Amino acid sequence: MNWQALVLTAELACLTSFILIIVGVPVALWLAFSRRRWKFLAESVVALPIVLPPTVLGFYLLVAFGSYSSLGRWYQHMTGSTLAFTFGGLVVASVLYSLPFAVHPMVAGFRGVDPKLMAAARTLGAGKFKIYSQIVLPLAWPSLVTGVVLSFAHTVGEFGVVLMVGGNIPGITRTLSIDIYDQVEALNYHSANITALTLLIVSYLLLCTVYALNQKVFLWGTR
Amino acid sequence: MSINIRIRRTIAATRHQRFCLDVDFSCPAGVTVIFGPSGSGKTTILQCIAGLVAPDSGAISVVGEDFYDSASRVNVPAQHRRVGYVFQDLALFPHMTAAQNIGFGIRVNGMQKRAMVRDALEKFRITPVAYHRPAEISGGERQRVALARALVIQPRLLLLDEPFSALDDELKQGIIRDLKQWLNENGVPALFVTHHRGEALALGDRVLLLKEGKIVGEGGVQEAIVNWQSQIACA
Repeated sequence: MNWQALVLTAELACLTSFILIIVGVPVALWLAFSRRRWKFLAESVVALPIVLPPTVLGFYLLVAFGSYSSLGRWYQHMTGSTLAFTFGGLVVASVLYSLPFAVHPMVAGFRGVDPKLMAAARTLGAGKFKIYSQIVLPLAWPSLVTGVVLSFAHTVGEFGVVLMVGGNIPGITRTLSIDIYDQVEALNYHSANITALTLLIVSYLLLCTVYALNQKVFLWGTR
Repeated sequence: MSINIRIRRTIAATRHQRFCLDVDFSCPAGVTVIFGPSGSGKTTILQCIAGLVAPDSGAISVVGEDFYDSASRVNVPAQHRRVGYVFQDLALFPHMTAAQNIGFGIRVNGMQKRAMVRDALEKFRITPVAYHRPAEISGGERQRVALARALVIQPRLLLLDEPFSALDDELKQGIIRDLKQWLNENGVPALFVTHHRGEALALGDRVLLLKEGKIVGEGGVQEAIVNWQSQIACA
């Protein structure tokens, strides 16, 4: 078992999930409640990583992080280093790649909140922030947890994007899925099996959490 | 005290059928009942006054404040109108206790807020269920929580959208008695939407009869309801 890869993967998944809560909640609120006609364009952009091959996303991110793009040059100017083949680059790639897995359950949850409750809150003087923070988010919290758990699990299992953007640098960008690939390449099946089994168990437990929440085990009673 | 309502709005009665809500009326002090069959536009009037939907044109002013005026493009957002609204299905926040529901709209914090909530709980006789969620209390208690929540913000106007329809007569009469007492004490005018004759007679002072988006009659509650009922029965 490669503990270094395990810790790196856990760090990557935790950081990605945390960023996705901060980024994903406002995006999901906007997608759930905005009445803009061009909203479908934004929805499609958010959903792109689901249909796009990971290597395609990884390739474009690698290009964007490089010194040929203005983004890459700006980052290099600001920090003195490049995002490609670094842990930071891996985090950015993971956030983008897992965005739909966090946002889609959240949007579904927010849309499921009874609009009358929001109307009642408005008549009681509540602005958007109070409605979202005190009505929508508490009522849709199982969807929030689902979004976070799915994005965590998805980040843990990433392979294509990680390999494209991060390469395979031990302790910096070598995650568990890359480690399994390395071990299989080296015909070290026993070690690959232990790592794969660990990932399998973690993924199963995470999915159990999601489905338990979807059964509304912990939901507020409504009548 | 003046409440002037002039609303024009196209309403989709069914997928293929539309009609125009076109009303122009004033409300004196007391409770004005909007009486009429389902789908006549009663709820839309309340939603326009509360700011939850916008009329196509018209003007709404409540106690000297213009809430909406299509001519001068005034449209005060719902959260700034200070209008109490009791929804047909009450729309209590299911994750909050009765006390939290009542305190939601109070703009002050700390001791003063707690005192206001306590007063409202006592006035509407729901102190024993203060820390229960809506799913854990009876229909009558939920009704009282919804009324207390709408009234504790000291509204300029109270809007009641058939809030008693799910209650039995005994419970209904007790709640209507308490509500009437509160309205008289505080001098808050109310618009009460119903198609139930008994409720209109019990709570109302004046009645507007609405039919397919038009006011087809108005008057004192007693004679109006009796006359219209017999007219409708004859027709």
